[in-house]
Parts: sequence; C-alpha cells; structure tokens
Amino acid sequence: MDRRQLLRAVAGAAAGFSPLLALADDDRKTRRKSGSSTPQALPAPTSPKARVIVLGGGMGGTTLAKYLRMWGDAVDVTLVDRNPSYTSCIMSSLVLTGQRSMSSLAFGYDNLRTRYGVRTVFGEVVAIDPVACRVTLQGGTVLQGDRLVLAPGIAFDEVPGLTQPDAMPHAWKAGPQTSLLARQLAAMPTNGVAVLTIPAVPYRCPPGPYERACLIADWLRLRKPQARLIVLDANPDFVTEKDNFSRAFFDLHGRVIEYRTNVIIDSVDPTSRTLFTNGGAVRGDVVNLIPRQRAPQLLADAGLLNATGGRFAAVDVLSYASTAAPSTHVIGDASATTQPKAGHIANQEAKVCADALARLFAGGSPDPAPVTNSACYSTITMSKASWLHALYQYDAASASMKPVAAGSGASVGWNGNHFEDMGTWFTALMADTFA
Amino acid sequence: MFVFRLPRSARACAAAAACALLATAAPAQTVPAGRLLASNCFQCHGTNGKGPGFDRLAGKSASDIYHELIEFRDGKQGPGIMARHALGYSDAQLREIAAYFATQR
Repeated sequence: MDRRQLLRAVAGAAAGFSPLLALADDDRKTRRKSGSSTPQALPAPTSPKARVIVLGGGMGGTTLAKYLRMWGDAVDVTLVDRNPSYTSCIMSSLVLTGQRSMSSLAFGYDNLRTRYGVRTVFGEVVAIDPVACRVTLQGGTVLQGDRLVLAPGIAFDEVPGLTQPDAMPHAWKAGPQTSLLARQLAAMPTNGVAVLTIPAVPYRCPPGPYERACLIADWLRLRKPQARLIVLDANPDFVTEKDNFSRAFFDLHGRVIEYRTNVIIDSVDPTSRTLFTNGGAVRGDVVNLIPRQRAPQLLADAGLLNATGGRFAAVDVLSYASTAAPSTHVIGDASATTQPKAGHIANQEAKVCADALARLFAGGSPDPAPVTNSACYSTITMSKASWLHALYQYDAASASMKPVAAGSGASVGWNGNHFEDMGTWFTALMADTFA
Repeated sequence: MFVFRLPRSARACAAAAACALLATAAPAQTVPAGRLLASNCFQCHGTNGKGPGFDRLAGKSASDIYHELIEFRDGKQGPGIMARHALGYSDAQLREIAAYFATQR
C-alpha cells in the first residue's frame, strides 16, 4: 500500500468504509510504495457490503483474499502479513541439495492488489479481538472488520537448551534457516553425521520430513559417500506413505539412513550439537531439529486454541468459523480438522471459507456439502518422486471432513515422470494462490 | 368488482422489477452451480481451469470432461493421481464439475 492509497484508506475510515481505524505516525513514515502501476482489474469496492481482515499471507490467507474478492459481492479485503513477500515451504527442501534457489520460492502480493483489489498491510500483529473482529498492529494501527480470517500457520514449541536456534535449524518455515541448513550440510565433513528430527503429529506437511530425509540421503550418497543421516522420529512409525518411505529408507537409502522411532527429545546442547533423548545422547555435525508445533501464541491469547490439547483451533468446517468466536474463521495449519496441515489443502480450505463468507454476506448459508482435496509429490531421490492424494467429503453425522477411502492413496513407487509433474503442480498451485 | 389493469408496458416493467428484486433477495441462487466443487481442480489446472498447470479445462464440453473423468475413475488411464482423485467423487459430483468448466471461457 503506498502513501496515497493509505490516505484514501484513512479517508474511507472516517466514512466508515475502511478497516483502518487508526494509523500510528511511525507506520505512515515507513510505508513503502507498492511499485506497481498496473490498472486494477477488480478494484476494491468504494461502498463495501462487508469488510474482512485476513491475517497471514501464506497458502491459505492469500487464496482466501483472492477468492473472496472474486466470489464475494463488494467485499473489502485487507491482507496483513509481517513480510511483503512469501517464501514457499513447498519445494524448499530442494534448496538443501542446490536444486532450487530461494528466489524461485519467493511470491509477492502485487497480483492480489492490482488484479483483485485486495488491500495489503505489512506489519506485526500484537493483538486479536476475535469477537469484535479487531486487530492491533505494532505501532498502534487498529484494523476493524466484520469478520476476521486467521491463516497464521504454525509456531514451534520451545526446545529446552536451544539457546542458539541457528545451531540446530528447523528450516520448517522456508526462509533464512533454509539457506543456513543448506550451507551447514555443504560444509559438513565427508564422513560426517547429519541428524533430522520428526515431531509428534500433528505437524505441518506429514510427508515433508520423510521426503527431506530421502533427498538429503540421495545428495549425501553423491557428495559425501561416507556420511550418514540419522532420522529421529517422535512417532511410532512412518506417519504417512509408509510403503514408499519404508522402501526408500530401508532399501534405496539403507546405507545412509538410520531410522529410529518413538524418540523423545528432552533437551539439547547447541554448542556440541547434541540431542538428549529417551534413547540416549545423539550428536550430529549438522542437526535439522524440527520441533513440535502449535498455532501461534496470538491465537492462544485470543482464546481460540480450544482443540488438540490447546495447540490448534476448533472450527466448523462448513465455514471454518471458530467454535470459540464464530465471527472469526481459522484456516490452514492453525485449525484443528481431520485434514492434513499442508499448502495444497489450505488453498482448498480457503476456497470453502471464501465461498461460505460470500454466501453469508449475501444473506445465505454455507454450502452444506463441501469437498476438499490434498495432493502432493514427495522427492524420493534428487530426480524421482512419488505422489500422495486424499479427498475429503463433508460428513454431517460427525460434522467433519471425512477422507474417502477410494480417493485416497499414494503412487506405487516413484519415478522421473512424477518428479516432472511435481514442477507442473507447483507452478499451478502457486498461480492459483498468488496470481 | 374493481379490476386493476396495468398497461402492457407497465406490466413488463413491474415484472422486470420483480425479477431484479428476486435476484437480490435470493443471493444463494446467484452462486454458479458447481463452482466450489470444481475449485478442487484449480490447484492443478489453474483458476477456473484456465491454467497454468496440467490440461486446460475451461471451455471443454461437459460431456468430454465427464467422460475423461469416468475413464480416470475406471482406471482406463492407469493408476495415476487423477484416478485417485476421480474416485473420491460421486457420479453426480463429476457431472457438476464437468458442467461448471463447460461454462468457463
């Protein structure tokens, strides 16, 4: 949002149209120009019928903002994120093997603004009032909506002893830690030991840690043939795609990967890169420590984390309305549903939420029978992939999204064609979300 | 008995006004059929089936899309990801999806 748009937004606030209630001076001074002069194809409504504030510009939040403008009638949509650019977690493990650049994973919000008339605000949210639908940003800006949609992704549990997070990067939110882990792996001794930890379910992207392990193992085989990869899984078994991952771990990468299950990490020593576990101490030259996950603290403070032992937000999956505060909706990884926490299905949850909001604003009710799907590809080697798919139909009896058995499963094995399809899938998914 | 009769042109106006009212009063009916269901395809075939991604679906005939989905569902195209996907839907849902993409240009 540039200064001129901002002033317009403030003027609109006086007339009661804009979500922007108050703007602190420091925010105004630091606001950057959007740098785009493309005419708006779907301009923000001058007399909105409803205002929606979306927190989080990842796969769920961005899709929600786009589709609410496409499908809603004169809905004013403001997307808030701390960063003016999104880095895709999907495909980010390929940065570790040097097959992808970080810039190839960067997606901006120009299309949302120019094609769909979404307002964007970049800043740190400090408080959410899920009943009044009000959001406070650092610096004092207050945004007021008729509905809030929260798509904040995940936060990590604190790991006792991890005083220097960069000593054991998670790289599970793509960003600086992804590049850092790539550098650490490249600098590892040729006969070194890498450790990758998998947290207890539910965590973001169920096949993700296993595909990363396969990818690193294949890369080590080529670059550091004497090196090993120890995978410490907090779960009792492969969380998903067991046929493919067990064959890959025990046969294909059996000489590189050592797989241990039911491993609980009690504490760590970042200086010596040692993990103290229920099965003894494990030291690595490189440690990719992926901690246990939960929705961010802001949602806990707002009283929204009422499921999964206080980790995630219970929602009505017809509209993703919070069961604690029905004017606030929670989509993607932060919500507690039967669906996996992953970008492809967060995109579909966002469409269900956008459709429900559009209908609700028009005086109707949400679609009573939504369908969602999860699809992804997993790298088994640096050039071969498998696929995994699940389709969910709404089940009225349990008021949940129920996986259809016949529509759920994985490829039998892996190959180069699936690896190629993975690239097409990524291009399409990111375009449906950001373009 | 008093019978109120509008001139023909005025009756047409009244009918048009009633239709307009109906359109705003029944918003749920203005949501294109199959749109949310078909949006499950957009992640891989592009928003409204217009790419980028796998095969473009927008503008194909409903019967072409439906028959392709049936071929996938029945395994005639092999055990790929589209076979799994098609197996998740009811026959009525597959028809609804196909009909939606036929309306896209």
